Amino acid sequence: MRALSAEEALSTTLSGRTTKNIRPPSFEPWRLWSAGRELLRYRDLVVTLSLHRLSVRYKQSVLGWAWALVQPLALMLIYTVIFSVVTRMPDEGVPYAVFVYAALLPWTYFATIMTNSATCLVNHSALITKVYFPREILPLTYVVAAFVDFLVGGLVLAGMMVYYHLPVTRFALYLIPIIAVLSAFGLALALFLSVLQVRMRDIGLAMPLIMQVWMFATPVVYPLSAVPLRLRFYYDLNPLAGTIESFRRVLLQNKPPEFSSFTEASVIALVLLPLAYLFFKYREASMADFI
Amino acid sequence: MFSLRLDHVSKRYLIRQAHVGAAADGLLARLRQRFAPPNVFWALRDVSFEVARGEALGIIGPNGAGKSTLLKLLAGITAPTSGEISISGKLSALLEVGSGFHPELTGIENIYLSGTILGMQRKEITEKLDAIIDFAGVRAFIDVPVKRYSSGMVVRLGFSVAAHLDPDILLLDEVLAVGDAAFQKKCIERVLELKRRCTVVFISHDLAAVQQLCDRVIVMNQGEKIYDGATAGAMTAYSALARFRSSPPPRTESVAKTAEVISLEFLDANGEPVHIVKTGDALRIRVEYHARAAVADASFGVFFYGADGTQHCQFTTELSGDALHLAPGNGIVEFSCEELGLQPGSYLIDATIEQHGTCVDWQYRCSTIQVNPGRNVKGLFYHPHIWRETSASSILAEENVTADPRNQI
Repeated sequence: MRALSAEEALSTTLSGRTTKNIRPPSFEPWRLWSAGRELLRYRDLVVTLSLHRLSVRYKQSVLGWAWALVQPLALMLIYTVIFSVVTRMPDEGVPYAVFVYAALLPWTYFATIMTNSATCLVNHSALITKVYFPREILPLTYVVAAFVDFLVGGLVLAGMMVYYHLPVTRFALYLIPIIAVLSAFGLALALFLSVLQVRMRDIGLAMPLIMQVWMFATPVVYPLSAVPLRLRFYYDLNPLAGTIESFRRVLLQNKPPEFSSFTEASVIALVLLPLAYLFFKYREASMADFI
Repeated sequence: MFSLRLDHVSKRYLIRQAHVGAAADGLLARLRQRFAPPNVFWALRDVSFEVARGEALGIIGPNGAGKSTLLKLLAGITAPTSGEISISGKLSALLEVGSGFHPELTGIENIYLSGTILGMQRKEITEKLDAIIDFAGVRAFIDVPVKRYSSGMVVRLGFSVAAHLDPDILLLDEVLAVGDAAFQKKCIERVLELKRRCTVVFISHDLAAVQQLCDRVIVMNQGEKIYDGATAGAMTAYSALARFRSSPPPRTESVAKTAEVISLEFLDANGEPVHIVKTGDALRIRVEYHARAAVADASFGVFFYGADGTQHCQFTTELSGDALHLAPGNGIVEFSCEELGLQPGSYLIDATIEQHGTCVDWQYRCSTIQVNPGRNVKGLFYHPHIWRETSASSILAEENVTADPRNQI
């Protein structure tokens, strides 16, 4: 009888109308199923809100869409000056500018998800206390918007690769699982942090610092091979290490992904995502009371 | 077949006291505060009811009765602490208009945004787009960012989007009071139209509005359901509630209770007790008092307050007649008025006894009265008046005209 005691059961009555049951929050795993179905019914809201994020962001700004490029390009310039002019950083035989940009691009994608979505529920408190819709749509649309920025930034990477005559090989197909894992991990953390931020505003305040430390704990400005082997075990606990390094390897160095690190990252992301979603749905029930 | 069912629903809020001052500044103090046992507040206690398909239910109650908590639970904004709510069919809440409007977006963009937030599909919105724009009357400005709209236009557009949802159950808050008179009329017509094909739950503290719309009323008080049934009985339950609720006003402590009001009754023209009257009706108020000692120069007052707490009018013994000298024992003071000037609405009543300007007794919110539309005129109140047809010269000719009763409005 476990299934019957779930928090929100959707069943079809004799008349064909769906019956929704609202119960006190619980942690039952099969909730994911009904939550997923509900999210599917609200897919139009995901589309509209994501479009909205993109169109509102650059309204009344002169540069407009170019802002999606400014952040990774500026960082690329800074790191290129520091690590190939001021001091030499191993670059695995690729021009340093491309080398660093190919990692900054997925990193910026991840960092944008983190900083925007951590505060997204609190920023939409007016909506949350007045209307019901699946709340995960808020962090989700920030992931979608960040992904569009990521694609725009990808055009620049493509341009740089043409400029430096770097060929694209079949290894580039690995980008699909790599980006999927990166997105899943980003979404999992977005769900988790946004819901924590509702009761602890410290999360949003700590975010810029955390992201800065995290970037240097990830092979963005240096290659993974520069990390001493005796530290690799601890280093690989960071799921981004395997993901970002693999992103750069399959694209620039025509090698398969860093398999052990990437598998670890995939497992972490795929376990974390349903757990984070479950936790989010559990806390969603009382979100409006605390926000 | 039910539309909506609440099964022993309770909602508890935990309130953490926010201590202000130096003690709260330290990190330790903050942590202690965070883990201190919070105060428990039950906003709803064991509420059960069922709403049949097609029924129009009104839920009324004073502030703090648990109305808005109930609304939030039904809308799915927050979950109950215990119990279960079953909703059969699509429920839409017409709560706050303009939910999800963004100032930078144009009218059209905002219609899509707000519509999808309220649960519509994009296709559905496209189909209803013209109807929504026309209903709001903002066609000329539909491609302009909403930040350039007047506040009235924003409200109209917001309501218009919400009014075009196609729900099985419609949850109504006090949103009907938006826009100017013409738009309000449109809103009410729209709600009446929706009422014909869906279940309505209307949460309000305005009995008149509830009466106009609902067949059944639930009266809430302090988180509990105290009445569930026909609208007429709800009035009695609500006014009984007002009598018990007498939270003492701040002034009573210093009062020498040499005399007190023990009952207050409204009577119609035939002397029958009433709770509901119409604007322009004759009304009598019978105030029964008990005096413990002789009170010289006493005066009685009856105050009418609107639901929002504004004082609308006062009946008093102070301005007319001889001074009142109360003898020990019980007595009755009766006010009467030929034509009641109050506009439709529900009113809360205070009764007082004063002596030389100091309060002897103050019965706070001791009764309620419902005024229904009767002699409907525009303005804040109905003023009894007479009229006759005349010419300029005849005014001079006849100084004292006796009113022809047929010409009274």
